[in-house]
Amino acid sequence: MIPLLILAPLILLAAVGAVWKARPVHAALFLALALSFTAVLYLALGADFIGLVQFMVYVGAVAVLIVFSLLIIHRGDESEEAARRRRALPLGLLCALPVPVVILAAVSRGAPTTVEGAPVLSVRQLGTLLFTTHAPAVIAVVVLLTAVMVGAALLAREPQPDRRP
Amino acid sequence: MNPLALLLVLSSVLFALGLLAVLTRRNAILVLVGVELMLNAANINFIAFWRYGPPDPQLNGPIFVLFSIAIAAAEAAVGLAIILMACRHLRSTDMNRLDSLHG
Repeated sequence: MIPLLILAPLILLAAVGAVWKARPVHAALFLALALSFTAVLYLALGADFIGLVQFMVYVGAVAVLIVFSLLIIHRGDESEEAARRRRALPLGLLCALPVPVVILAAVSRGAPTTVEGAPVLSVRQLGTLLFTTHAPAVIAVVVLLTAVMVGAALLAREPQPDRRP
Repeated sequence: MNPLALLLVLSSVLFALGLLAVLTRRNAILVLVGVELMLNAANINFIAFWRYGPPDPQLNGPIFVLFSIAIAAAEAAVGLAIILMACRHLRSTDMNRLDSLHG
């Protein structure tokens, strides 16, 4: 419980930074921070392997990818961004606030029951389940990732006007 | 408030922050940042229910999170490729200008 009480505000602060910072690079770095704290949260909850995967894939790949694309296509229009956000904020809050309000109301009405004793997440068991029970899903993800790789390469290619059909 | 309730509130606030980013940001890449926050909030719920819920020998929570992370990575790669291409066409990553299907 103590690690959760420390980690939850840290995750939320980093997420607020990611949402609030006007400079895109700062926002992306705060996202990386929030994702790292979430990885630590998974480690604290006993899901060691998931925490490491979260760190490698989310922080190591997704956040770095976002920072790199910001560096490639950086446009300096932060003041305009802030002005637009002030205008959009009331409606955005109206749409976003009901989610935590409903969850808070449900939780305060009656705390969800928890089971004593931490479950064990063994990597051997996880691997066995992935490649037996969930083998079709793993194959589907492999096909998806291949398609994504080809699609991203096609989309990001420089246009060649002389070869266009 | 027990740990499961705390984690549920944490993930709902995180989801709301992501939704706020998606709705109020104008830079397309920062909209993607919001989407990542929302996916992350969902993953926290899976792990929380696996940790504090009834024993599950099938490990459905962690396995779902693994697939979710794989799909989030794929989504980020394709999303960024699309944004890069749109930026090449429009010379801007402003979502308000992405209002036409004309290449």
